[in-house]
Amino acid sequence: MSWDFISNLLLASVRMATPLIFLSLAELYSQRAGLVHIGLEGLAAIGSLVGFLVSLITGSPMLGVLAGALAGILVNMIFAYATISLCAEQIVYGMAINIFAPALAAFIYRVYFGAGSTLVQVTLMNNLSTTLGITSDNFLLKLLLDQTPMVYLAYALVIFTAIYFNKTKSGLNYKAVGEYPKAAATLGINVIGVKYIACIICGALAGMGGAFLTTCYSNTYVDGNVAGRGFIALAAVIFGRWSGGGVLLACLFFGFCDALQIRLQVGSFGVPYQFFQMIPYIATVVVLALIGMKKAGPKGAGKPYLREDR
Amino acid sequence: MDAFLRMEHVSKRFGDFYANRDINFSVRRGEVHTLLGENGAGKSTLMNVLIGLYQPTEGTIYLDGKKVRIDSPAQAVKLGIGMVHQHFMLVEAMTVFENIILGDRNTRGIFIDREARTKEIQALSARYGLEVELDKPITEISVGAQQRVEILKALYRGAELLILDEPSAALTDLEVEGLFDIMRKLTGEGKSIIFISHKMREVLRISDRITILRAGRTVCTVDRTETNGEELANLMIGRELAPSHYEKITEPGEPVVSLEKVDYHKESKHNGLCGVSLSVGRREIVGIAGVDGNGQSQLAQVVTGVLTPDAGEVDLKGSRVAQFTPNGFILESVSHIPEDRNKMGLIGDMSVKENIVLKSTDTPQFSSARGFHLKKRAIRDYAEQMREKYDIRCTSVEQEARNLSGGNQQKVILARELEGQPDLLVAVHPTRGLDIGATRFVHDTMIDAREKGCGVLLISADFDEILEVSDRIVVMFEGQVMGVFSGKEPPIQEISLAMAGK
Repeated sequence: MSWDFISNLLLASVRMATPLIFLSLAELYSQRAGLVHIGLEGLAAIGSLVGFLVSLITGSPMLGVLAGALAGILVNMIFAYATISLCAEQIVYGMAINIFAPALAAFIYRVYFGAGSTLVQVTLMNNLSTTLGITSDNFLLKLLLDQTPMVYLAYALVIFTAIYFNKTKSGLNYKAVGEYPKAAATLGINVIGVKYIACIICGALAGMGGAFLTTCYSNTYVDGNVAGRGFIALAAVIFGRWSGGGVLLACLFFGFCDALQIRLQVGSFGVPYQFFQMIPYIATVVVLALIGMKKAGPKGAGKPYLREDR
Repeated sequence: MDAFLRMEHVSKRFGDFYANRDINFSVRRGEVHTLLGENGAGKSTLMNVLIGLYQPTEGTIYLDGKKVRIDSPAQAVKLGIGMVHQHFMLVEAMTVFENIILGDRNTRGIFIDREARTKEIQALSARYGLEVELDKPITEISVGAQQRVEILKALYRGAELLILDEPSAALTDLEVEGLFDIMRKLTGEGKSIIFISHKMREVLRISDRITILRAGRTVCTVDRTETNGEELANLMIGRELAPSHYEKITEPGEPVVSLEKVDYHKESKHNGLCGVSLSVGRREIVGIAGVDGNGQSQLAQVVTGVLTPDAGEVDLKGSRVAQFTPNGFILESVSHIPEDRNKMGLIGDMSVKENIVLKSTDTPQFSSARGFHLKKRAIRDYAEQMREKYDIRCTSVEQEARNLSGGNQQKVILARELEGQPDLLVAVHPTRGLDIGATRFVHDTMIDAREKGCGVLLISADFDEILEVSDRIVVMFEGQVMGVFSGKEPPIQEISLAMAGK
């Protein structure tokens, strides 16, 4: 195995981990407020389509990402209203989002481009190195500079999240809502408000994660391009023990698995490529099996919060 | 002396039901004021009004002479009212420190200033003797320590008036002493305390004044120095402790169930049994008296086959029980009125009629081919009969059981458990939360069952209930039998001593 292979693999891991980081953080903010959201797959799908369309129309991938975030928030408000205000079952509504949103994305795509049209492509977001005009073959420089701004944003968000939940008063209150909403309410914390904010953050991050796929990763939109990342993100949150840093490590691990499988597909003959494609998913199953027995997530997650009733 | 808190003519109505009616209540600075009353007397409702969870239908609240409106818990906190709930409001995944500063609005800044906050908390805890380990997670500290955290939490928010809702219920004797020391320190510093309890001994020890509530109204407020336990009990119940309505039986039939040195988790003082021997005969009601949480639940579950004892023998109608399964006991015609009717007694989402036949769906009366096909008509007719006989008030037998009032829910259970003439009835808190009429009905039904030859094991935390219907009284304390007394002219003094473990 050459150094080239390894360095490329590591670079790719970081790239692959980025959408997962966005999606996992989305899940983390949701669960920390007591909302288990299995609908990230759907939110990411709509984010990726809207991101694609807007960057095609405006020519700006940045605006595309922003629009993806807004679309994610919009769709997630359905989940928010149903689960928070109507106290509906979170799993059912998460699933509903998973069925509804990708279909909506596919529908909009067909309406906009017509059936059987040729593949439309957009320009991708520039790497920082291209913007700065630096080219180098040095591994470290490549790792640091050969990335889109979205990658930096993802890592900045991880750091922010870690600080927010561990060091700030607001973060502590936020966590209390996910742990024991009734106790939080008796201390004057606005439980319903925090939960809605959680849904806005979750929708925005998931939408951005989806938009990353069509503005930074691949220059086209195809149905199913989220490819289970929404569910891997769910695993990453559990694997990462509901903390910012843990989630980052989990995402890098899954990103590594993804990068590895692509490289193995290219580099080997005689083995059906589907076997390699399974690697990230098998890793997810194995990791969850190993870690699942010690569940330590927010105590109030999954349960609706009903205000004092008699 | 001037009152710190005054509640005047406060009423709270739910639909047609007044949970509080024209309540007058005041608390002075530096006093422990006890709210005394039976379950359902309106204590919790009144406190929920005070901490802003409920809006009063009528009436006004004055704090420090000024009229105030308390429309949210946050507002109550701002006004200096703090409550320690019976079920602690602590986030288990967080540390003591984090729980105390949670929701803090008094300090500026985005970040948690650990050092400064720690100093403040330590100053408070030193001042009132509230020892806590700030860095420990809640799950690793004792119940007594958790309570101290709750008190600190309230004080940290600047509480001048502290509501303690049955604070001693979960504490050991030593911890109760500690709590009382803290309460005295707090009142010594000018804080006021509302103490809610129905443990007479504690009330008499710690209170300065006592307000008695009955059926949603204030009966009166008395000074501790001018009253005694007997008077309080009478005021609370609303009558002189009347002699029992029922004739007591002194010579029961052969035993239906007998326990011989039964152990269950015997190291656990509050949730275990230690060498329990007792028997219930035919035509006899044996009342188990004792403060809640001294092994009564476990006893009930052993004699209904839910729990398997660790040691000892249980005989049912003369034959030794080899296997403890609920179904095995049901087949031996043991009936059970469980302590929590919503969790164990009924299936709330199912209709009244379905709940009534729940135990006998396999019988030819209600189904063909052992439950394969239900005879809907027969079930309906039978349920209508039971509705008549047990006076179950519901819109129809198709109504969901959860929508019935507590008393009517209990009647559904009685109909299911007592029809078909059981040999043994195990009734746990059968009248908890019921009004007087429903309570009387339950008692009459139990006496009826006794007359028909059923043995009844009655477990109740309501001492009056035990005195009212028991032919024999067994006192339990920390999982052990402390004494057996006659139900006819019971020696109250001795029984209450036994209940306290003496």
